[in-house]
Amino acid sequence: MRKADEQGFREFAAANAASLRRTAYLFCGDWHTAEDLMQSSLMKMYLAWKRIKDLDNLIAYARKVLLRTWLDEKRRPWRRAEQRDGELPDAADASVDPDTTSAKLWARELVHTALLQVPPRQRAVLVLRYFEDLSVAEVAVAMGCTEGTVKSQTARGLATLRVIVEKLDSSSGRVAS
Amino acid sequence: MSEQEIREGMLLAVWDEPPLDFDPDTLIRRVEQKKSRRRALVAVGVATAMIAVASFALPGLLPRDRESQLGSPTDTTASSTPPSLSVYGRQKKIGDALASRLQETRQDLKEIYPSFDGFRGTTFKPEAPLQPIRPDSDDMYGFLYFTDSIGPTALLVTMGDAVSTNDICGAGKPAFCRDVPQQDGTVVTEAEFQEGPERVKAVAMRRLPDGKRSVIISAYSHNPSTMTGYRQMIPVNVDVLTALVMDRAITWE
Repeated sequence: MRKADEQGFREFAAANAASLRRTAYLFCGDWHTAEDLMQSSLMKMYLAWKRIKDLDNLIAYARKVLLRTWLDEKRRPWRRAEQRDGELPDAADASVDPDTTSAKLWARELVHTALLQVPPRQRAVLVLRYFEDLSVAEVAVAMGCTEGTVKSQTARGLATLRVIVEKLDSSSGRVAS
Repeated sequence: MSEQEIREGMLLAVWDEPPLDFDPDTLIRRVEQKKSRRRALVAVGVATAMIAVASFALPGLLPRDRESQLGSPTDTTASSTPPSLSVYGRQKKIGDALASRLQETRQDLKEIYPSFDGFRGTTFKPEAPLQPIRPDSDDMYGFLYFTDSIGPTALLVTMGDAVSTNDICGAGKPAFCRDVPQQDGTVVTEAEFQEGPERVKAVAMRRLPDGKRSVIISAYSHNPSTMTGYRQMIPVNVDVLTALVMDRAITWE
């Protein structure tokens, strides 16, 4: 690869690595896996950089690669074998004020428990629509499906998420708005 | 739960994001290493495939058994066809007879055994490259190995087209070279050669009754099969060699 192209990739990767990792985290719910997914996606992009460097919306392409990488990873046998059926014990953190962080803790619970129970493709649509703030058309491009599919997946994903959150809230005594 | 709440929830979910330790240069290096590994793997695969194809397509180029040798300066018929089993059997029989006769003649010798493997060199130049003996030929070229008080060595045993006395006598500086008539009517040429005061070679050559074939047994001041093991004197003198070529138990023809 030419030095100029390599420098271009270096700048793109440095600028977008953090946001890609955040999106990956919302897909998979684990920061380590998120980092792996981000790096794998950037490696794939580096290999194709000569071809893609002049695309209009490179970050959209990067999200598409990230999503495909995650869906591929989920299909792997060792990922399939993984079962998240254990309960982590609650450990109180004395250094943190419960009142100021309750909202954040609840949000984390939302992701870890509720979002992760939504089927993968519906989860991906929700993350791209509500975290990345993409339009239906952009999500359709990233997902490689029609806009109608995006809309139906969004509706189903939201319904599933609401049911799960409601369950969580009722079990924890919190009232969902 | 509204869409806005979901949006805010997701944004809050990444609030405890661990610090990112990402270096694009490291990533680029890893990709380049992966690429070079993949190229090397492909190169090895291609090379293996080519060798496999070549070994099937050009069987004549690769040795199929111990008798054939790459680059043998000989015609392909001779190199690709080893001597027949009957030739091996005959040579083994003669070799065994020579070994037992040598043991009778010189009881101090140990580990006596013959070796005739279907190849031959030049009779007077054991250091010359070996060539396969044609399967339809009754030529012989081999060694009679033994160990004496000095160490292991061997006699050179050959049978081929008739050789004249002059050929024998002219192959060096003879201490003596003579024709000795035998009781059965054949003639044995006996010769010993010297370099300085030492005897370095002894030869007994018997012309077979048909007059067309000769048997030659030679002793050297070194091991003629390996061109090593140099010593001051020849391990056996010409009388022993004559006893071997004249052994009644051996049918040379």
